[in-house]
Amino acid sequence: MNGGDPKPEMGTSSDPNRRDFLAVSTAVSAGLAAGGMSLAQERPVLTNTRPGQIPRKRFGRHDDQVSVIGIGGYALALAASYEEAERMVHEAIDAGVNFFDNAWEYHDGRAEEWMGRALAVGGRRERVFLMTKVCSHGRDKRVARRQLEESLRRLRTDHLDLWQIHEVIYENDHDRHFEYGGAVEALTEAKNEGKTRYVGFTGHKSPHIHLRMLDYGYAFDAVQMPLNCFDATYRSFERQVLPEVIRQRMAPLGMKSLGGGAEPIVQGALRVDEALRYAMSLPVATTISGIDSPQVLRQNLGIARDFRPMSAQEMQTLRNRCAELAGDGHLEMYKSTTKYDGALGREQHGYPSPEDMPL
Amino acid sequence: MSITDMPRRVLGRAQVEVSILGFGGHHLGEASSAPEAARLVHEAIDGGINFFDNCWEYYNGRSESWMGGALEGRRQQVFLMSKVCTHGRDAHLALRMLEESLRRLRTDYLDLWQIHGLSFDNDPDLAYRRGGVLEALDRAKRDGKVRFVGFTGHKDPHVHLRMLQMGYPFDTVQMPLNPLEYNFRSFERIVLPEANRRGVAVLGMKSMGGTGDVVRRGIMTATEALRYAMSLPVLTTIAGMQSLAVLRQNLQLAQRFVPMTDNEMIALRNRCSPMAADGRFELYKVSLKYDNPQAREPHHFPLDDKIKEVQDMFRRKGGVNA
Repeated sequence: MNGGDPKPEMGTSSDPNRRDFLAVSTAVSAGLAAGGMSLAQERPVLTNTRPGQIPRKRFGRHDDQVSVIGIGGYALALAASYEEAERMVHEAIDAGVNFFDNAWEYHDGRAEEWMGRALAVGGRRERVFLMTKVCSHGRDKRVARRQLEESLRRLRTDHLDLWQIHEVIYENDHDRHFEYGGAVEALTEAKNEGKTRYVGFTGHKSPHIHLRMLDYGYAFDAVQMPLNCFDATYRSFERQVLPEVIRQRMAPLGMKSLGGGAEPIVQGALRVDEALRYAMSLPVATTISGIDSPQVLRQNLGIARDFRPMSAQEMQTLRNRCAELAGDGHLEMYKSTTKYDGALGREQHGYPSPEDMPL
Repeated sequence: MSITDMPRRVLGRAQVEVSILGFGGHHLGEASSAPEAARLVHEAIDGGINFFDNCWEYYNGRSESWMGGALEGRRQQVFLMSKVCTHGRDAHLALRMLEESLRRLRTDYLDLWQIHGLSFDNDPDLAYRRGGVLEALDRAKRDGKVRFVGFTGHKDPHVHLRMLQMGYPFDTVQMPLNPLEYNFRSFERIVLPEANRRGVAVLGMKSMGGTGDVVRRGIMTATEALRYAMSLPVLTTIAGMQSLAVLRQNLQLAQRFVPMTDNEMIALRNRCSPMAADGRFELYKVSLKYDNPQAREPHHFPLDDKIKEVQDMFRRKGGVNA
């Protein structure tokens, strides 16, 4: 792999350098395999397609069916009041949404508390697929386990459907999570103890960091990543990670369908329905959407209810339209800047806070 | 001091010899005057440097003009490189830029002509398209105006990798190489082995992280940084040397160069690893500050001058607005 390099390869198969080269070669072959053609060959398979209902898809290698749109926990806690958030949760469930996203660190716990309280009303917890994320950011599994107990308490449940390692975005994260006593051990333990049914990881920064996590051969059930029509041609998760996640029979979860802060919509490069339909037409289990008001909820529920997958040609047309603007990442700031990096994660790595970093 | 004092390495089948330390053209434009620039160039040649780097857009041509003036009568002693700044535009523009570079550098040929500053995910496609800059490289070589061709960039190893894998027979490729770099979106790990495998000669740059900030903060010494970069399987390491003091320090180091052992290199990388993983010491990979307005404009990427980093970008480029 390093044949022309006059420096001899050092170490054995346990040498981290060697593993990194392997990860790179996976990335390259995935990129080449997807290059130029219709990117994700597989088409989404919809279930629950009765008129007026939000369609569902299969969750990876498991039989669970999840709604094509998921409710993001961060934005939900930005609603005007708890009462408004509760009404939004109930309206979403009534419309057929069952996928609910959260994270231990969102709004210092308020996001989990609000969601837990709203789901406790009328036993709605049993009707949903509930996910939250652990924010150990490289610390050991005891921190992770403590956070799990807090998440369960705030969410008023005795188990999660999915528990994911949050924000895998630094180049040394894979080492930290997989080291002895690291977060991945906490995932395994929690699963064995029945505290979560499934496990996964998330991140918004680099497809190559995701690929390194996947290189360990650990049987994650889900992998969350940004997926949108700008991503298709800039440091692309769609080209490089999505095929590998599908190959490993994990459930891909899409996020940032509007580019994170909806910049492409604001700038008129794209309409909301185009953006959401594109993301949902990829072979993902669900598309997690940040919804912070009843108006946005109704708009997005409507798009999901009427959802018919785009044709391969429609998707390619949209990618081509976005390609010229996509090339420097200014419409995907979570990849191209540190502005979307969590302050807690940076602090745990010993890095200055996002506000102190240049654009 | 004789000019045989510095180790050299060989480029290609033509057996051209190049000094392990290259003289960066960007910093030359920061010298206080043309005579001061000439003094730097002459002392570099006397110290054994024969590799000279430049670029069509550095300081609106000043870097090329000063280097050209300084090389009068010495052109045959050096291996002269400049870069073309089409940034996605076509071969005609590239050839016009070549004529300007030749005129400013007071020569009728370049030893090496490189495509400057590959940065963006669509740059390889724009270079390879019909009528793109690669056709200008072919033409210039055929006309005897350049001997070797290559490309450069500091942003993203995967853009470099794709440029190589699309198959054009480049002679050289230029990239940032330093011990921090190894730990973050690494050209050393991702591009260097592929270039070596393809027999494309590698030119290292930014051995001290672009700004020397890592040296000022005591993360590594200048000696460690340069020795590390020179110990990699590269043809040369291009360094910016805007003063006689810096030039002399680097000359001494290169003249007495002993490659690091593998263990020394690993130890240095590992020392840098914890602070490298978010890229804050390699802002050329992560920040708008190190983007180039002349590259962003032809791509139609926004350049909002209310943003501080965009102002920094213009300042850093010495007010270029060709």
